[in-house]
Amino acid sequence: MYPGGEPRVDLINPLCILLLCGIGVLFIYSAQLSHVAGNDWKMQIFWVVLGLATYGVVSAINYKVFLEYAHFIYIAGIVGLLLTHEHSPISVEMMGARRWINVGITTVQPTEGAKIGTLIMAASILARSDIGTVRDSIWPLAKVGFVFLLPMLLIFLQPDLGSSLVFPPMVFALLYVSRLSEKFFLSAFAIFAVAIAVLGADIYGYSQHLERQRSADTSAEVVTGEYKSILPIRNYQRNRILTFVAPDVVDPGGIGASWNANQAKISAATGGATGKGLFKGTQAQLGYLPQAVAHNDFIFSVIAEETGFLGSAFVVGLFCLIVANGIRIAGLARDRFGMQLAIGVSVLFLVHFFINIGMTIGITPITGLPLPFLSYGGSFVLSCFILQGLVQSVYRYRKDFS
Amino acid sequence: MSRAFVSGARSSIVLATVAIAFCVLFGRLFYLHVWSQQELLQHLEANRKTFSLIEARRGNIVDARGNLLAVTRTSYNIGVDPQMVREEDQHKLPQLAELIGKTVEEVEEALDTKVRVVGASSNEVRLVRWVSLMRGADEAVNNAVAALNIRGIYSNREHSRAYPAGTLAAHVLGYVNKEETAVTGVERFFDYYLRGQDGWRESERDGRRRELAQFREREVSASDGLNVELTLDQMVQHIAETEIARLVEEFRPEGVSVIVSEASTGAVLAMANYPTYDPNEFFNTQKYPIANQRNRALTDSFEPGSTFKIVPVAAALNEGVVNPDDVFQTGHAQVSYRGRSLRLPSDHRHYDSLSVYDVMVKSSNRGVAHLGLQLGEQRLYDYSAAFGFGERTGCALGGEISGTLHRVSAWDGLTITRLPMGHAVSATPMQVHAAMSVIANNGILMQPMLTRRVFDRQGQDVVRFSPQAKRRVISTDVAQILSQMLADVVGENGTARRAAIENYNVAGKTGTTQKIVNGRYSNRHHVASFSGFFPADRPELVITVVVDEPRLNGTGYGGSVAAPAFRNIAEACIAYLGIRPSRTREDFIAQQPSSHDWPRRLTN
Repeated sequence: MYPGGEPRVDLINPLCILLLCGIGVLFIYSAQLSHVAGNDWKMQIFWVVLGLATYGVVSAINYKVFLEYAHFIYIAGIVGLLLTHEHSPISVEMMGARRWINVGITTVQPTEGAKIGTLIMAASILARSDIGTVRDSIWPLAKVGFVFLLPMLLIFLQPDLGSSLVFPPMVFALLYVSRLSEKFFLSAFAIFAVAIAVLGADIYGYSQHLERQRSADTSAEVVTGEYKSILPIRNYQRNRILTFVAPDVVDPGGIGASWNANQAKISAATGGATGKGLFKGTQAQLGYLPQAVAHNDFIFSVIAEETGFLGSAFVVGLFCLIVANGIRIAGLARDRFGMQLAIGVSVLFLVHFFINIGMTIGITPITGLPLPFLSYGGSFVLSCFILQGLVQSVYRYRKDFS
Repeated sequence: MSRAFVSGARSSIVLATVAIAFCVLFGRLFYLHVWSQQELLQHLEANRKTFSLIEARRGNIVDARGNLLAVTRTSYNIGVDPQMVREEDQHKLPQLAELIGKTVEEVEEALDTKVRVVGASSNEVRLVRWVSLMRGADEAVNNAVAALNIRGIYSNREHSRAYPAGTLAAHVLGYVNKEETAVTGVERFFDYYLRGQDGWRESERDGRRRELAQFREREVSASDGLNVELTLDQMVQHIAETEIARLVEEFRPEGVSVIVSEASTGAVLAMANYPTYDPNEFFNTQKYPIANQRNRALTDSFEPGSTFKIVPVAAALNEGVVNPDDVFQTGHAQVSYRGRSLRLPSDHRHYDSLSVYDVMVKSSNRGVAHLGLQLGEQRLYDYSAAFGFGERTGCALGGEISGTLHRVSAWDGLTITRLPMGHAVSATPMQVHAAMSVIANNGILMQPMLTRRVFDRQGQDVVRFSPQAKRRVISTDVAQILSQMLADVVGENGTARRAAIENYNVAGKTGTTQKIVNGRYSNRHHVASFSGFFPADRPELVITVVVDEPRLNGTGYGGSVAAPAFRNIAEACIAYLGIRPSRTREDFIAQQPSSHDWPRRLTN
């Protein structure tokens, strides 16, 4: 049928995705069983079916087409983001953030489209440029930087800190697998380390400030004033990081800022080796997990509680397979654009997996990042299918068969 | 395979990063699921388990006719957590203020006071999480407040005790304080029956702290308290308290005690005191000083004085040392007793000689002193004790004192002449009342009875109390002779003419004692008392009135202060209870046997 005897289509990722989607629908049903009279699991089935169709279409298209239309895709993504601005007539505000636009039948989150557009645009720049020495790299670097920073900034302003933080790991991964000089990365790491140190100092000072305030509450001392720092971050953001690093300082009782984190951890832990059984998780069914997000951001907690270590390890294994297979496909790609796409998609997924699962088991701070294929959400499901479709396309067109 | 675009080293670093990321995830999962499961499981249990108390409802106290004297009602304490109040609810405050009966300013102040300073010296500041806005709100008010839906406004339900009759029988009922502790009166003594048994429930709750009925593990339902029926009659009690009010208005005394009981059973129909208090407002010590809570009929003693004279007279007759018409020479102030010369007390009128009968009717101090000398110390003491002096009556209300009756060994030389007239002894109004009841009840001392029965919700008896005789003190015959004497005390020649009731044969004895002020008997401070029963030939009611320090011109004699009060109470009771008159038309024709008939009657 085709040269080399290798199959034309990668089956590993589609199978993993199908399994994950099935699990996702099941546990969205479970998460909402007792408390929310929602039918989100039915909607999720609809989105999964639509996503599968999209996946088929995208993987049928030669990814080189995207190289040609990269600019249009990118601009479409940016326009989508601009539409969420408050002056836009179809912008929708929910929970104090403008992340959605109304397209008549449903609301969509342009962030997802922007992610795809940015990835394709950056990959195309890096694929077309001749990157080698630092001097050669400066102009393409500047272009890539602009391409990334524009959507990041727009998303940050929505505000959606979690989503905007997905971009840096992706761009670094793309740059790393291009032929950028080692010096660049060394200096980037140095800057990163300095930034972490400054942030660390700031957070430490803030925690000392909180301690002082608390002791002032119980002593004769007059309550001290606001915490002052050079960094332009807000106290609630400091609180989030502190909740992760030192929950006892910001929330000694464990019932305020660290409630969600604690409950999620408890969910995972009490599942034990084999779990409490489907629909029998007390944390999810009794509403200890935050109900508004149990079926999307905290879906992994529900799975961990009800299926235990075996179930959650199985899910993590599927994710591992998807990412590893993506990197394998990157290595098989016929050109740099293909490789960049596959790497970019895989790293994007890795970031989502790691941060989302990490927050439910207490190894990363709580951010609003959903879990691909499992979490409820239309735009996000679709974008995941499109991204995976790109990887499939890279695999299918790894060699010229014409 | 095309690896031309990326170096092998970089590719492996990327792979290693991915591998590490997943290893971290796996490791953490393993740690949580398998390693620290127990510890976190406990945390979870603690979160979810609830233990709640199901409060038992306290039983009611009713009077002999089933009128409610103490009830438990459900009320709500409405308050606010100022930390939770939102600006948006500001416009609802006038409505709230109207519902809870406060001004808008008061409500706003309660809502705005978010911190308080602990202690005057330090500046320690605490957040205020609860300010009470209204105590004892009823269901309707509570629902209306809840309907306003103001964030931070809560109510706690509590069973509160209410005494619908207000001050009526306050001292008998007692009260239950805010800590659910029964403090005095029937409430306290019958607390065991009234309290009931709280139940409890072990259950689970969800993330919103709502109880999950399907996870109830154990539930022990509360058993409500039992009800107590008193022998007290609300109407008789009211009659007594009305009369006390009249006495207070007329004489402005320090205190008044009135006891009304059934002669044959010892069942107390009314027990009232002045000053009194409202058990609904026991905490209001401005309005009702704490001393008002004393049940003076049981807790305060006084020298009974002449009302005590029934003891030596009854004792001497019962021992057979005298006959009713034996005559004593009462002209001499000194007598020789066991080789010593004793000074006898004087009477306010001089009598040369008096029969035993006249000693009683004229209430002669010197006469009863002679009776005391005839009896001797030990017998006088024994009879005093037998009549119940020096021991608690056992009127289960708490705070009762035993009064003072010194043992013979502690007597001084004059006691033998002073005790018979009711000096050198102190007694509570209840003791005087019980002693008089002995005469009314054919010589048998009854245990005063306040409660008829304890019954459950269906009205079935759980415990029934029956009249209890303590002992026979004197013979039936002697009791009847004494009744007759006491009837003549109230007769035209007696000291208590003002206690007489037309068509009813009233028996009774007055008492007027000087109070000891600054260590000596005062001429200005008196206790006026009257204890009696009627009809004399078949006694129905025993009534005792004790007035402490009536303020009037002259001496506060028992005959002029307490006796009329007795009559007023007795007349109202006759109308209310339908007591038949003792003198029928035939009686009027037959008239009373005269005093010289006594020996014949005794030998009948």
